[in-house]
Amino acid sequence: MSDQTVVVARHRTFSFSRLFAITTNTLTELTRLKVFYVLLVFALVLIGSSIFMAQFSFQQEFQILKDVSLGAMSIFTSLLAIVAAARLIPQDVEDRTIYTILAKPVPRLEYLLGKIAGVLLLLAISTLVMSAVFLFVLYAREQSVIQMTLRQMSGAPREQVDDALRAIRSSALNIDLFPGIIIIYLKASLLAALTLFVSTFATTNIFTIVVMAFIYFIGHLQATAREYWLHEHSSGWITRVFLAIVALLFPDLQAFNLVDDIVAGAAISIALFLKTAVLGIFYTAIYTLLAAFVFYGKEL
Amino acid sequence: MTDPAIAVRGLTKIFPIPFHRQSIVAVRDLDLRVEPGEVYGLLGPNGSGKSTTLKIILGLVSPTRGCTEIFGRDSRLVKSREAVGFLPENPYFYKYLSGEETLRFFGRLCGLGGAGLKNRMDELLELVGLTNARKRRLGTYSKGMLQRIGLAQALIHDPRLVVLDEPTAGVDPAGSREIRDLILDLKRRGITVLLSSHLLAQAQEICDHVGILADGVLVREGRLQELIAIENQTELVIANASSDLVEEIESLIKRSNAELVARRRSTTTLEKLFLDATTERPRS
Amino acid sequence: MIRLVLVLLTLFAFGAIKLPVEQVIFAQHRQENLRGVEFNLDLREKLGQLGFIAALSGFRAIVADGLFIQAHVAWERTEWGRVLLLFRQITTLQPRAILFWDMAAWHMAWNASVAAMNDRTQPRLALRVKAQREYFALGKDFLERGIKNNPDRPHLYETLATVYKEKYKDHEHASALFAEASALPGAQSFDRRFSAYELSYCEGREREAYDRLRQLYNEGEKERLPTLITRLKFLENKLGIPQDQRIPDRAP
Ligand SMILES: Nc1ncnc2c1ncn2[C@@H]1O[C@H](COP(=O)(O)OP(=O)(O)OP(=O)(O)O)[C@@H](O)[C@H]1O
Ligand SMILES: [Mg+2]
Repeated sequence: MSDQTVVVARHRTFSFSRLFAITTNTLTELTRLKVFYVLLVFALVLIGSSIFMAQFSFQQEFQILKDVSLGAMSIFTSLLAIVAAARLIPQDVEDRTIYTILAKPVPRLEYLLGKIAGVLLLLAISTLVMSAVFLFVLYAREQSVIQMTLRQMSGAPREQVDDALRAIRSSALNIDLFPGIIIIYLKASLLAALTLFVSTFATTNIFTIVVMAFIYFIGHLQATAREYWLHEHSSGWITRVFLAIVALLFPDLQAFNLVDDIVAGAAISIALFLKTAVLGIFYTAIYTLLAAFVFYGKEL
Repeated sequence: MTDPAIAVRGLTKIFPIPFHRQSIVAVRDLDLRVEPGEVYGLLGPNGSGKSTTLKIILGLVSPTRGCTEIFGRDSRLVKSREAVGFLPENPYFYKYLSGEETLRFFGRLCGLGGAGLKNRMDELLELVGLTNARKRRLGTYSKGMLQRIGLAQALIHDPRLVVLDEPTAGVDPAGSREIRDLILDLKRRGITVLLSSHLLAQAQEICDHVGILADGVLVREGRLQELIAIENQTELVIANASSDLVEEIESLIKRSNAELVARRRSTTTLEKLFLDATTERPRS
Repeated sequence: MIRLVLVLLTLFAFGAIKLPVEQVIFAQHRQENLRGVEFNLDLREKLGQLGFIAALSGFRAIVADGLFIQAHVAWERTEWGRVLLLFRQITTLQPRAILFWDMAAWHMAWNASVAAMNDRTQPRLALRVKAQREYFALGKDFLERGIKNNPDRPHLYETLATVYKEKYKDHEHASALFAEASALPGAQSFDRRFSAYELSYCEGREREAYDRLRQLYNEGEKERLPTLITRLKFLENKLGIPQDQRIPDRAP
């Protein structure tokens, strides 16, 4: 061995380059697990459903295409978030790779942040790819419908043609879809952080995933439980305590299902979008911090 | 330097068993001191608490009682790990990374980067003999290769202290000889080594200092030479001696008041035989 | 153990902070007519167990699409009772989707009503007419509820106006609805025209209709469509407008 000494940068309590190393490593791990096959399934679902929808009118077709695409996007990102985040830490503990990492001057918080950042990056890439596929299919269908309409209306007055084209365009893409997609992403991020939190005290992956499935359903009912608890005072105290626990402990996932209405054509106000986004980021941050807290006390 | 490389004081580790009333005492009241520049061997049978001790020293497991320090810094501080390289027992790395990527990853965790890291990687891959396998994924590595990449990883940031948990487990004799040479080389360069092993012959070859653990208790400890020397005995090994000469020596021993304890033909060791037989062909 | 307690405490504390935020968002959903679905036993009965769970887990749009496809099949088989039932479920799940209200009304007021009129198994005309009128009413009902859920979008007003015009021959209501539609963002260019046409059929409102048609006429060439000119001439005659104020005959 040569006696040349390596210049080691002075240790810093928090370093972005270390964080970045863990993040990219996590992303590599998830990528090489071939999770991106999910995206292929998504494309197939889209293409399959658009073939199937040939029998409907263009309004119906666009509506269903958007529903199916965004619904699939929502479930795929949520699934990806849960499945990817559930295995991150348990896998490292089981393989003992965590020993080698934490034996380096890496704070546990940094390790955890790197992991969650990797998942969030993966989710962002998946969301972008799925959006691109979706927009492409929608655009292609819109163009073909427009071509067909122009051919059929070749003799009609300008104004009527304009009306028809306007109707087609407005039923195809509405700009409100983009905030909707961002909210889908935030919902998945929240689920990823929550999964990471659950996985810090879970003993197996299966346990984490089962718990998350449970949380997912309760989370969609949380709003109902909350409103009932806050506004309905007639029920017995056991019920009320139960409802209070659900309302306080679980996230309101229903609040993140804006796309259902957006696809239907409803416009979302910027205020509502921002509030929902802030809530999503807030949830993600809190669950990540809680995960870090539990992880600090964890016996490896 | 006044600080010892490693100081362990009154260390006790109790593992509770979930849903049971009893618990396992893995380490009991351990005191240990490793001076800078020496090679310290922590020996003991399976389950005697060697790995647990090493993990506590590296801050991976929290002690029930007592404290551990590395170069005067408490093990619980992340900063204490700055100057340590660690090879866990049966190391397992990310299967999906190649040897090269693994080293780059760990290098970056230590704050290295750029050309410095690149050079260091080349150097270490050469050192542990994995240059040809650098592009292969670790999933395809044999156990010995994993052990060697683990060693390279532990040395990536040129640490002042290297902690090795059974560095030669699963490695063939030639490989373990290479590892032995490597450790001696580290020692020559003034790097402190703490290793655990239950292969005594090997420990004997390289350690300056040993501690023997049994059921979590340090039952013996001290300088190797002092521990194993038998004060009143001397060994002679003679080549090409005629039987006359041997008889003469024996009678000489009888005449003085000494006693001949054993007389035997020298044999080679199985290890040496194995090495001679397998190194005739070049290793792949 | 301490950590567990701390984690639980944090979760509850965070819950107390997030609760008002969630409520604000919930209230805003209400205000913006989102999430028109109330998850209650009634909905469960309507959807069945599976659909209910799917709807709860955030897939009500997809569930609605599934039901819509079933309704499409039911329509092809002319099972009108089933079409009605399915569209009730669909519009409950997706009250913001104009398309579904529109389709529901179309199936009822146009397809089912015509089928009822041509029903060969029912020999008595009076009963067939009664059935037809019931389907008109069902169509109208869908549209009215659709408008209540989507007061800000013109399309359902237009469709309801058409139902009044074509099915009930109620020109007054039709005109009023076209007028309402024309006032909303995204209205079709014909809404104002149609409103005026419909008004021109109403006994006693001729003067008002004439003024509105004349105003449209004055706006320029793009409004001077054949029907507009016909209706305007009809009213000029009916109201006895002096010759010099009348619109010129179209150049031959
Ligand atoms: N996480 C743990 N939970 C419970 N018990 C543990 C845990 N880790 C180690 N032990 C127990 O502590 C004792 C010491 O284990 P340790 O791994 O330190 O032994 P070792 O000396 O390294 O053995 P070996 O030579 O087999 O590697 C054993 O009885 C083991 O069962
Ligand atoms: Mg061990």
